[in-house]
Amino acid sequence: MKRAIIFIWLLLLCGRHLDAQQDTPPPFPTQPNPSAKPSAPAPAIVPVPVTPPRPNGKIQNSLVRITVTEAEPDYKAPWNAGAIQRGVGAGFVIDGSRIMTNAHVVSNSRYLTVEREGDPNKYRATVLFVAHDCDLALITVSAPDFFKNMTPLKFGGIPELESTVSAYGYPIGGERMSVTAGIVSRIDFQLYTHSSIDQHLAIQISAQINPGNSGGPVMQNGKVIGVAFQGYSGDVAQGVAYMVPTPVIRRFLKDIEDGRYNGYVDLAITYSKLQNPAQRKFLGLKDDDRGVLVTTVVAAGPCAKVLRQGDVLLAMDDHPIASDSNVELEGARVEFPEVVERKFKGDKVKLNIWRDKQPMTVNVELNTVWPYAIQGHRYDVRPRYVVYGGLLFQPLNLDLIDAYQPTDLRIRHFFDYFVLEQIYLEHPDVIVLTNILPDPINTYLAAYRGGIVDEINGKKIRTLEELAKTFSETPDRFVVKMIGEGPPLVLDPKQVEAARERIKTRYNVLKEQNLEEQPAAKTPQEQNKI
Amino acid sequence: MAPVFAKKEPALPAPAGAQKQLSLVRVNVTGQPYDYFRPWQKKAPFSKRALGAVLPQGRVLVTADLVANENYVELERAESGEKIAAKVKVVDYEANLALLEPIEKKFLDGLSPLELALDTVVGDRLAAWQLEPTGALVVTEGLVTTVQMMHYPMDVGQFLTYRMSIAMQYRENSYTVPLVKNNKLAGLLLRYDSRSQLLDAIPAPIITHFLKDVQTEHYRGFPSVGFSFFPTRDPQLRSFAGETGKPAGVYVTSVEPNTPVGKAGLQVGDIVTAIGNNEIDPTGNYVDPLYGKIEFTNLITSHAYAGDALALKIQRDGKPMQLNVTLDHRSEQDYVVPPYNLDQPPAYYVLGGLIFQELSRQYLKEWGGNWLREAPQRFVYLDHCQSELFPEGHRRIVILSQVLPANNTIGYEDFAYLTVTKVNGKEISSLGDLAEAVQHPINGFIKIETEEDPKQIELEATQVAAEAPALQETYGIPSLQRLE
Repeated sequence: MKRAIIFIWLLLLCGRHLDAQQDTPPPFPTQPNPSAKPSAPAPAIVPVPVTPPRPNGKIQNSLVRITVTEAEPDYKAPWNAGAIQRGVGAGFVIDGSRIMTNAHVVSNSRYLTVEREGDPNKYRATVLFVAHDCDLALITVSAPDFFKNMTPLKFGGIPELESTVSAYGYPIGGERMSVTAGIVSRIDFQLYTHSSIDQHLAIQISAQINPGNSGGPVMQNGKVIGVAFQGYSGDVAQGVAYMVPTPVIRRFLKDIEDGRYNGYVDLAITYSKLQNPAQRKFLGLKDDDRGVLVTTVVAAGPCAKVLRQGDVLLAMDDHPIASDSNVELEGARVEFPEVVERKFKGDKVKLNIWRDKQPMTVNVELNTVWPYAIQGHRYDVRPRYVVYGGLLFQPLNLDLIDAYQPTDLRIRHFFDYFVLEQIYLEHPDVIVLTNILPDPINTYLAAYRGGIVDEINGKKIRTLEELAKTFSETPDRFVVKMIGEGPPLVLDPKQVEAARERIKTRYNVLKEQNLEEQPAAKTPQEQNKI
Repeated sequence: MAPVFAKKEPALPAPAGAQKQLSLVRVNVTGQPYDYFRPWQKKAPFSKRALGAVLPQGRVLVTADLVANENYVELERAESGEKIAAKVKVVDYEANLALLEPIEKKFLDGLSPLELALDTVVGDRLAAWQLEPTGALVVTEGLVTTVQMMHYPMDVGQFLTYRMSIAMQYRENSYTVPLVKNNKLAGLLLRYDSRSQLLDAIPAPIITHFLKDVQTEHYRGFPSVGFSFFPTRDPQLRSFAGETGKPAGVYVTSVEPNTPVGKAGLQVGDIVTAIGNNEIDPTGNYVDPLYGKIEFTNLITSHAYAGDALALKIQRDGKPMQLNVTLDHRSEQDYVVPPYNLDQPPAYYVLGGLIFQELSRQYLKEWGGNWLREAPQRFVYLDHCQSELFPEGHRRIVILSQVLPANNTIGYEDFAYLTVTKVNGKEISSLGDLAEAVQHPINGFIKIETEEDPKQIELEATQVAAEAPALQETYGIPSLQRLE
């Protein structure tokens, strides 16, 4: 389910550190007093104290420590490979020789290794599936026999409020597996900060969760009831951490059964509660506390051909929708989009609606809605851009906003209302002139920085591909009109051509454009090649 | 014309003893701005104490922001404490100047009025005059470092400004401090930053323009420029615009609706090369005899008056042309989103608990000093881009500001800051349109359509009318509407 962007101080729990840092060595027992009798040398092995009953069994048989080397793309210098970072997270073995962890542990990864308790080896791991819209991922190890001695964990249901849970992982404070325990504090929909645009069910627990816990199992009565994934930093709130609950996990595992992760589907509509008596009368509705009003139908969404602004939704898949937008689902009252939360790409949903005072039934075939993509963080993609005449053009998205932090009203407006005001219809790519690499041919153009491209030589430019194609032609001049009142940006193609090598060399621009977001998918064998 | 270099005369007054008569009075103002969230109410009264410069003909000059929304203005003699009520004769919020008159002229007897010093240039020293609590004059000297066009607080166009480096001393009630050169008024304090010790002043030429305009039958205000422009330093832009001859002038990027330059035929893409005989360089400056290079807009604002004819020399597609412009002041009411609304109550219409108003920057300023970031961003965007989004002008933006919980508005309580598009099927361009359209319900229902979600809100007409008195009583609303 997509929502408008909310700003939340949540942290992802993958411990990150720079390449150069040393890992903290295990603590040694203190040295004996020199004046005393010389005692036996300090033991080299740190004993594991025997603890009272382990409620979930020997988790070391199922848990792995994942070390990831990732390269995050640089949206300010998008021709660069990006900064290399290392991080640590946790994962656990499930059926089918797979290891489950969080998407944010393995996103943008270049090299993955896993380790397990009692085994000195580091194993190369590869990504099988990653779901950025619900922060889950499956990885595997190609080494034979790796899974032979490991115990796959099973999944439970939704734990009771106030019941005890234990979280296992590799957080800060040591090198070996750590256990923390707490209770279930709250079960509610939350923003998943990995994408920052998706909201799903999340369970809040009071167990202390820290960077390095990401991807680790949270267990109760021997079963996994969640995957620890995000929490508040200590200076904002204490003891507030979240886990991905099993309904979300199960949906992910079902989605990938066909060999592809298709993602969450969305109705792509907005709606308003129907609690005002005059409005209900106007619409011809009965006084039965049923129905919500459709307020926006996204043209690129699955409801575009079947629903209109002003329709009243009365039931979804035969679940009556109350006027406060709730339905009853498995004994609980939830907002009706929860019905769609559980569906898959290609599934249909039946809607009983009320239009022009008449009842109707419509069917919607569900799909992902592409315009939302720019409003969430993107991973495992290469930034798209075009450099022409030292001018850097990039399509607007959340990662670009994070990198440049623009304050320009127009850019913020185009971003915030990209879906709701259907800006994507005219501008599938909102192309921003983000930066200028100074050179004599562009030295007077500084004022155009931050502008959004509208037309070139009188032709509307809707995508980055169209921009690249237009710049590959050679008319007498390029007259680039930006959106809003401002002078046109004028370029002489011959001068631009003459300056190309100079600009490339001076600014180390390795590639002048990238129009492909996704590199070609690699098989696990290809991934192991470096 | 060769530049005139003014004689550098001492800024400090004559030696002690000779200056017996003061040219300052204290000005005490009590005011009450309207509450734009509850537009039938005024906010709590405020008080301001300031200084006023005494001018000839029994008048006192202060800055306009002192008297905005005033209820009561009082003049006070510094040496005796004697007070008298005063009227605001003229106020210009854009130039930030106001002229006061005591209800009895003889109140100012014994004070020596200030003449104006018009020849201040960079490098001159000016004296800031403040008063001790006892009424004694406090003089601080500073240096004029720059003379340039700057934005004044109302942010309507730019005006000539003196910038000074001066270590002002803190004295209570130092509002609208006069700046003096050889006992003549050279300027009025606009703003002061004590950290950088930089002072911006409304200069004497602007004050003179203001006073001259006051003499006419009807105060008209400063002429508006009416168009936006861009330098033509880029040879590629010049070549595109077809400019011939040496680089000169500015490129016209937009022409505001219904303005004198628009009426005279100025178009986007023209290059304005001169105003009268003053040539404009590619950066937008002309050479002023006193100040040297300064932005050409000074010729329109400082030197000309509403009603004057101005010759605008332009180039269009390489061909020189001349446009004859009859200058005029653009009233703040002329804008789609007015830049300010002071001394007047805001218009509003309350319907069943829905509060409708016209969008204005005054409304946005209710969000405080940081309103650019904190006011509803959609409204800030509409204000900022109004001439581009509404090129025809001649309209307002009607908004649903807030919803008062009542029987009629059950379920609507959370709606706020919405733009109204239609009422009962009629397009709405003003609050008057809304008031009229409300009179024609559809089958007994009043349907309000908004640009944003929820897109439609309905009320029952008879229920709204029946419950109006109860609504007024519950929320203390004296009248459910106030139209222009």
